[in-house]
Amino acid sequence: MSELTLLVLRIGFLILMWAFVFMVVYALRSDLFGHRARKLPPQAAPETFPATPLPVAVATPPAAAVTEPVRAQPHASGATPRRLVITSGPKEGMEIELPTEQLTIGRSSESGLVIRDDYTSTHHARLMLWNDEWVIQDLDSTNGTFLDGSRVTLPTPVPLGSTVTIGTTSFELRR
Amino acid sequence: MSAPQTSAIGGPATQGSAPITTTIRIRLRTPARLRNLELLLLLVALATSAAALALVDLGAVGEIDAAMFALCGIPVVLVLVLHLVERVVAPEGDPFVVPIATVLTGLGVAMIHRLDIAEGHDGWAAYGVRQVVWAAIAIAIAIAGLLLVRNHRVLQRYRYIAMFLGVVLLLLPVIPVIGETGANADVWVRIGVFSFQPGEFAKILLAIFFAGYLVTARDSLSMVGRTFLGLRLPRARDLGPILVVWVLSMGVIVIQRDLGTALLYFGLFLVMLYVATGRASWILIGLALFAGGAWVAARLLPYVAARFENWLDAFNPEVYDRDGGSYQLVQGIFGLADGGLIGTGLGRGRPDLVPLAESDYIIASLGEELGLIGVFAILCLYLIFVARGFRIGVAGQDDFGRLLAVGLSFVVGLQVFIVIGGVTRIIPLTGLTTPFLAAGGSSLVANWLIVALLLRLSDSVRQQPHAVVDGGGA
Repeated sequence: MSELTLLVLRIGFLILMWAFVFMVVYALRSDLFGHRARKLPPQAAPETFPATPLPVAVATPPAAAVTEPVRAQPHASGATPRRLVITSGPKEGMEIELPTEQLTIGRSSESGLVIRDDYTSTHHARLMLWNDEWVIQDLDSTNGTFLDGSRVTLPTPVPLGSTVTIGTTSFELRR
Repeated sequence: MSAPQTSAIGGPATQGSAPITTTIRIRLRTPARLRNLELLLLLVALATSAAALALVDLGAVGEIDAAMFALCGIPVVLVLVLHLVERVVAPEGDPFVVPIATVLTGLGVAMIHRLDIAEGHDGWAAYGVRQVVWAAIAIAIAIAGLLLVRNHRVLQRYRYIAMFLGVVLLLLPVIPVIGETGANADVWVRIGVFSFQPGEFAKILLAIFFAGYLVTARDSLSMVGRTFLGLRLPRARDLGPILVVWVLSMGVIVIQRDLGTALLYFGLFLVMLYVATGRASWILIGLALFAGGAWVAARLLPYVAARFENWLDAFNPEVYDRDGGSYQLVQGIFGLADGGLIGTGLGRGRPDLVPLAESDYIIASLGEELGLIGVFAILCLYLIFVARGFRIGVAGQDDFGRLLAVGLSFVVGLQVFIVIGGVTRIIPLTGLTTPFLAAGGSSLVANWLIVALLLRLSDSVRQQPHAVVDGGGA
């Protein structure tokens, strides 16, 4: 075998190794660069934008009025929320069982609650169970997580019936 | 838009069927996608390994060794069986760890085979042949591990047994009858004709123990203590665990004369402690303890002092010529320098000039024949492997699984750093095996077990309650 063939083969092998590396990197690009935001269809967009402030503006007054009696309840009866109910947004009315320890929320398909819209970060927030109390933690998201209309900066307990807003989706915890 | 909203607040139970259909649709679609991706990557990984082996034969001998290729068929079939087993028992396991482990094992086999050719080993005496058999055994054990451990939380129950076994395995090499005094460090155990390196298995067992222990103890380790200069320092009595692990690793340095193993276990405990508590003060305390211990050891123990001198003054002719001096280290560096940017080509260099080129110095051999470009590709693969482990940990649903995934992948990363850092003179050289690449059955089996555990952990991560809110599809 001639030197030239070997030279070509050995450069070819290095290219093959890097091709493998780049295949892996390409396959997990969403990990490195975040999930691609899905563009809303043009006719849906004008409908959704006014809806964004709505859940905060509309849902807060009743929630605030209800919160006081409800907030005292979980500690009195020791009951922790078991369900998460989506109260506004594209999948409103949808309901999921809360897992045993934590629920991750974000655009990543590994999240427990996957929210794919223009405002959600790949790993947006998570709900954690601390001492029988669900706590929401914002994972440094771009557009923020809101609890009853105010932005969450520290891990904050989520009382029953309070509205958590992420992007165009709002949900609350229920028993 | 506002009408359904009020009804949702009023009574969401009426639409309760929506999440069920969503969940089913997701479950049916993703698993096949992940496994198909893995199959594609696995085929490229096998092609890369086969190309490496073929190039070694072409470069060194000029013709392809058909018998070696036939033998390599066994692990290839087994890794494909592993893939099929995953489709059944871990359909949502991470698709990257197996192809990366495969390509690293394949590169290792090719390089060891190349060294056999240079040193004239043949038949069963050839390290390459034994490495292929060990790879087959390792993959078979990984399959068994994946089938046996169906739920990683079971491991948490056995944390104290894991600790006991781990410590026993660490101590085995110093027991006179079965312990074997090797060239430098006492890390080998020989029973009859069968010898193995128990420390490789101890790292998995200790990772299980640390994860199980820290899940229960982390509250007292992280919540209390006073703040000093912006750091929350732990209470004196909470220093107990870290001191115990520190004493153990110092014991390994003194009794076993193995700096690398001590650094590996101490680093593993430190990082898991940091991940469990989120307090940087533990890292500072731990590094101070280890640096202090290593400094004292370098003063008092002649072998540690020699290691430091080899590292700092490697090119001094006196140090180079001394018995146990820097000859090996310097030969490895000469090899790397000879390789340059694109390497001498597989089978075209002289990696056999370095002592222990097939085990401790495999990365110098690969660096000589694949060059800097090839070594960086290998390091990238390790980086992705470790990053996947961290990723599995971040997405984990239970604390034990999260800590275990971080611990197992960090221990691989730290081992790569200690070995390759030693060979490239970034830190003092210590004898550890390069995961997946180096010749040695225990190391291969232990690292493939880590692959199986990461697959199990990543599968249970994705088997969580899962709902999708699709902004575009509404």
